[in-house]
Amino acid sequence: MNDIATGFKWVGTRPIRPDGVPKVTGKAMYAADYTMPGALVGRILRSPHAHARIRSIDTAKAARLPGVKAVVIAKDFPEQKFEYIGPERVAVNFWHVTRNIMAREKVLYEGHAVAAVAATDPLIAEQALSLIEVDYELLPHVIDVDEAMKPEAPLLFEDMITRGVEPAPTKPSNTSKRLEFHIGDLDAGWAQAEVIVEKEFKTAAVHQGYIEPHACCVRVDPDGQTEVWSSSQGHFVVRALTAKLLNKPVGDVRCAPAEIGGGFGGKTVVYLEPVAALLSQKSGRPVKITMTRDEVFKATGPTSGGSMWVKMGVTKDGKITAADGIFKFQAGAFPGSPVMNACLCAFAPYAIANARTVGYDVVCNRPKSAAYRAPGSPISAFAVESVLDMLAKKIGMDPAALRRKNAAGPGTEMIYGPKLAHGGYIETLEAIMNHPDYKKPLGPNQGRGIASGYWFNGGGESSATVQINADGTILVATGSPDIGGSRASMALMAAETFGVDYNQVRAIVADTASVGYTHVTGGSRVTFATGMAVVDCCKKLVDDMRARAAMIWDVDVDGVVWEEGRAKPASSNVGDFKPMPLKEIAAKAAQTGGPLTAAASVNAGGQAPGFTTQFCDVEVDPETGKVTILRFVAAQDVGRAIHPSYVEGQIQGGVVQGIGWALNEEYIYDAKGRLDNPGFLDYRCPVASDLPMIEPILVEVPNPAHPYGAKGVGEVNICPPMAAIANAIDSAIHRRLTELPMSPPKVVAALEQEAAD
Amino acid sequence: MGVARVVLSSGFSRRYTGGKREFDIEAKSLRDVIKALDGLYPGLGEHLEEETTVAIDGEIHDAPGYFQRIRPGCEVFFIPKLEGG
Repeated sequence: MNDIATGFKWVGTRPIRPDGVPKVTGKAMYAADYTMPGALVGRILRSPHAHARIRSIDTAKAARLPGVKAVVIAKDFPEQKFEYIGPERVAVNFWHVTRNIMAREKVLYEGHAVAAVAATDPLIAEQALSLIEVDYELLPHVIDVDEAMKPEAPLLFEDMITRGVEPAPTKPSNTSKRLEFHIGDLDAGWAQAEVIVEKEFKTAAVHQGYIEPHACCVRVDPDGQTEVWSSSQGHFVVRALTAKLLNKPVGDVRCAPAEIGGGFGGKTVVYLEPVAALLSQKSGRPVKITMTRDEVFKATGPTSGGSMWVKMGVTKDGKITAADGIFKFQAGAFPGSPVMNACLCAFAPYAIANARTVGYDVVCNRPKSAAYRAPGSPISAFAVESVLDMLAKKIGMDPAALRRKNAAGPGTEMIYGPKLAHGGYIETLEAIMNHPDYKKPLGPNQGRGIASGYWFNGGGESSATVQINADGTILVATGSPDIGGSRASMALMAAETFGVDYNQVRAIVADTASVGYTHVTGGSRVTFATGMAVVDCCKKLVDDMRARAAMIWDVDVDGVVWEEGRAKPASSNVGDFKPMPLKEIAAKAAQTGGPLTAAASVNAGGQAPGFTTQFCDVEVDPETGKVTILRFVAAQDVGRAIHPSYVEGQIQGGVVQGIGWALNEEYIYDAKGRLDNPGFLDYRCPVASDLPMIEPILVEVPNPAHPYGAKGVGEVNICPPMAAIANAIDSAIHRRLTELPMSPPKVVAALEQEAAD
Repeated sequence: MGVARVVLSSGFSRRYTGGKREFDIEAKSLRDVIKALDGLYPGLGEHLEEETTVAIDGEIHDAPGYFQRIRPGCEVFFIPKLEGG
């Protein structure tokens, strides 16, 4: 356990989380637990084919089935304009989004929704699906990204012209976009290099693996007012997307947050809510839809698989002189992989004068990719951090020392333009290099590997309201769904700012009608941005309570200060008054101006990026190829850990997902493009018995832009494990594995080859 | 009011400014920067507001805000908007 002195009373402590009791007693309400009077059961008909043209859909028989109250297909949704709008990375094109919600001209992946029904019970709904007749014209499909980029590949969109290429190609392809970032002079960098390594790598598409499937319950009233209960990482985004896809005013849609059973990026988009809303609108009754695990795997976003080439050069004393990378990412059936982030983050931990990254966003017959923890960065990190290990071994340098020599710090020019404003990376390296186990001897077939990671972290728009009740208890309401313990963090920051006991503060997540707009819980932004809104509220209320104490004492407000949860005279010159606790001021709220409430909204900027360095020890069974993780240590710059236990939990969780990505997880398709492993039995996430204790080291380099120094902590921890494990395997068996997952058959195959290094 | 060095991404400059990437702009807030660029390339201001993340002296702000202060000699980079998981 990390024990760090902060000088704060509450920030940095580990109280019990406010949502703990309902969760451990099974009382917490998740999306699938909600229903409404008269609710119908919604079910979705999904494509059995990877790629097919829809000649026709006949829903007449289904609609006539007694108990069926509504049937919808794509043409029931308003058409959307074809234009790329908003953020470059996701390049949202609602023409695509509406087609992902429900296929129109073609189905583009197995599991693609083609129709939906609402019925009085699940059996009738299932029967209705079987009565819908879809006439498909089967088309050739493509799953692999390299295959999809070939000129002869079947096209998902016959008119897709690659963006970002000049002059624009004359022929359509599956490559949606090309991106390039560069800095310095690559030729000059290669000329300075004394040792150069280049290598190709592949990563598999992996699912976020949240325990809770997507679910929602939606009611549309005759006047169009729409109420949505669903599991998401951002109910304001659910509101915006549902309104947009149904051409409704945003003000007609109210979204309430259920408890969320994991998201990891995958619940920042909508799949069900617009469908349920349309079924409700048609039937006049609420509609509840819950996905099965099979649907989650087949129809919701994994993150992209990637095909990459990375080349780096160093001097013999370990100075990186040049770096180049090409990253080709599966976007899934519609454009919008995280390849831009991969390009921006790939070399970000290092000060490299001459570098280039090129990215390709490529569509293929898989479900549309969705964000997953530091989207894009772990994929490019696998390639870059593996090549760095190869370079270190070639020049005989400790791999941590190589990274230390080239570490980025404040003032380092980044490949995306600006200079880095914050440090933190070197501190994580030093924490690992000084760890007592880093030099510990290993046994036969054992190896040690190290890798680092970078993630931008997020800020942006958040809102909060704070109320002080008549008895002095405090309610903090924010618009951020609580995924990683944010209610506890908000309550801690409020308690610290007010100077009151943590147990006086209750933090909740409010619905879209009860608090101001708040962007998603994603991008490691909540403790930073929403925390700033909460602290702003508390500061407003402190000023308000000083004014009320001044009114009670009949002195000027400048003569009142706030200390340790009490109003006090600033000096004896003001008068001799007994300090007035928050509770007493709250009790006089009516007499001094009415309820004590404050609201605050921020567009938070100045978030510092996240850096991490991790090492692991593995043992490889030469007979079976099984890789056992013996030890895993992860040092991360967290700014300041508001609630250290949840920060440690984030680090451990990210590492575990990285271990799964490294060793076991992958989408396996058959020859017809159908997913062979849509369930947790065959899609193998690590479980506790697979893992050692993952030791988190909290490195605190506070961010001055945040009132308590917080930095985002949720994502960067997933970046290094794949490369750290590959590097450890190489140390153990002298075989460089370049394709994920590094499952036993691949390890055995590698052992049968000659040692490459 | 001082002069800031303002830089657009290459993709952005290709699309909206005929390839010109760097500008010296007199500004005391990001509002001044956006206004000046919109004056040079009508419509550019909206694209900057909607589609970019801004780095002011390396400090990243997810969404450009008019209120963000610009000190004389500072570097302002508009980079493609980032989205996390």
